[in-house]
Amino acid sequence: MMLELQDVTSFYGKTPILQNVDLSVPEGSCFCVLGKNGVGKTTLMRTIMGLTTRITGKLSIAGQDATSQPTYERAIAGVGYIPQGRGILGKFTVRENIQLGTFASNDAAHGVPPLCLELFPYLAENLDKRAGHLSGGQQQQLAIARALATDPKVLLLDEPTEGIQPNIVKEIELTLRRLNKEIGLTLILTEQHIKVARELSDYFAVLENGRVVETGPIAALTDELVERHLTI
Amino acid sequence: MSVHDFWTPFALEPFLNALIVGLSIASIWLVAALGLTIIYGTMGVINMAHGEFIMLGAYSTYVLQSYLGFPFLLCLPAAFFIVAGFGWVIEKVLIRHLYQRPLDTLLATWGVSLVLIQGVRLVFGGEPQYVGVPTWLDSAMQIGFINLAWLRVFIIVVSGLMVLLTWWILFRTVTGVRIRAVMQNKEMAASFGINANQVYSITFAYGAGVAGVAGALFGAFKSLFPDMGSGYIVEAFLVVVVGGGQLIGSVFSAGLMGEMGSVFSYFTNDTFARFVLFTLIVVFLRFRPQGLISEAMTRR
Repeated sequence: MMLELQDVTSFYGKTPILQNVDLSVPEGSCFCVLGKNGVGKTTLMRTIMGLTTRITGKLSIAGQDATSQPTYERAIAGVGYIPQGRGILGKFTVRENIQLGTFASNDAAHGVPPLCLELFPYLAENLDKRAGHLSGGQQQQLAIARALATDPKVLLLDEPTEGIQPNIVKEIELTLRRLNKEIGLTLILTEQHIKVARELSDYFAVLENGRVVETGPIAALTDELVERHLTI
Repeated sequence: MSVHDFWTPFALEPFLNALIVGLSIASIWLVAALGLTIIYGTMGVINMAHGEFIMLGAYSTYVLQSYLGFPFLLCLPAAFFIVAGFGWVIEKVLIRHLYQRPLDTLLATWGVSLVLIQGVRLVFGGEPQYVGVPTWLDSAMQIGFINLAWLRVFIIVVSGLMVLLTWWILFRTVTGVRIRAVMQNKEMAASFGINANQVYSITFAYGAGVAGVAGALFGAFKSLFPDMGSGYIVEAFLVVVVGGGQLIGSVFSAGLMGEMGSVFSYFTNDTFARFVLFTLIVVFLRFRPQGLISEAMTRR
């Protein structure tokens, strides 16, 4: 298993947000976390990254126990994070943002990886542009490029298509498919679009009130399930 | 007292001399404020013990010189490493645990400053101590009508070099990318493999070390007292606040404040010049509380 959560409860301060979550994400798969707003999807991502106050239970990354690992060690262990809102450092240039990713890789020279340039030609042409000046879609590409620069085993994508024009959504979807199928990266994503989730994923889990209520292979995500848990 | 006694009329040569003295004052304030700029600007820590870090730098120089026979020039880097090491320990045992609580940090560092003042008084006594300088620094530079002590010229040069070194570290090295990443967004920095605690340790130690160098310079300039730090802390904080907490802002604000103070005191006298300068600063901060160079401007 690339990522495993066993009975994980995750806290902000003293408040448990996620409760008794069990998840297993096989290596090379694409795992989609679904749920309405405010059910704990982002908290699940932050929990994997070690950005909540504390957790109980057991969390392992690539077979290694990571329950009490600090955030930066998890990044080095191979988790590439694309947060909600993208988390681009606006004062940095495109190059410096990608360089930030290399601090979690083995590249002591901290250069821009060729894969990032190949996947995102716009970024390749604007390496010295200030990242704060990029559009939403471009920032999302930069966030993916930065996560790839960490030389990850698994990518966490929190709402990768949120607030992005439809034509760019398709582009990002194709990029993710390529990373998953050709390069063999494990993907964990949260998604509002059921259609995107069905096209990309192998497995899914539905969250409700901080608990996993449904999980299984993507074929088991029936319209009836969508109707019951995801329709507002 | 007639108006004529109070007001010195303009004359070119003395006025130019006043500008050069202003440059010297500016460099002293800048080197005193540089460490504070780094610690406050990057970490948001209000370090009330900054003046005592300066004092420690001066006393380190005194000890190295008087007891171990170090030459003065070697005392500058030595003071850097001694005070940086001290700052590193303070960060580890105290400041680290208070990052989410700025008010507590302020009180805790004030406590540190009191302990340091009394500690040094216990060890060295309350009477003044002196640091000797090489003979080539002990005379005055005389070029035409310009008259400036070589020691002041030396302080201008050293403070310029310290600013350049700090700029180079922040903006031209990989360590600088790490520091600036943590400054902008600690969570994101950590999510990409940066150990933010380690960055804070290094930054705090560096800021303390810079204060140590300032102390070594000031020790050569004036006599050493255990509470000498309080003489620099006010100006240092003013430079940082007026500058907006950025490196370039501190350079400008120290320059402006030094020159304005010197020009005012040329026309009137030192006391009145300070009164006018501090009043202007209060008025300036009323209308521009974010300082000369603000975050929003550098985001461009």
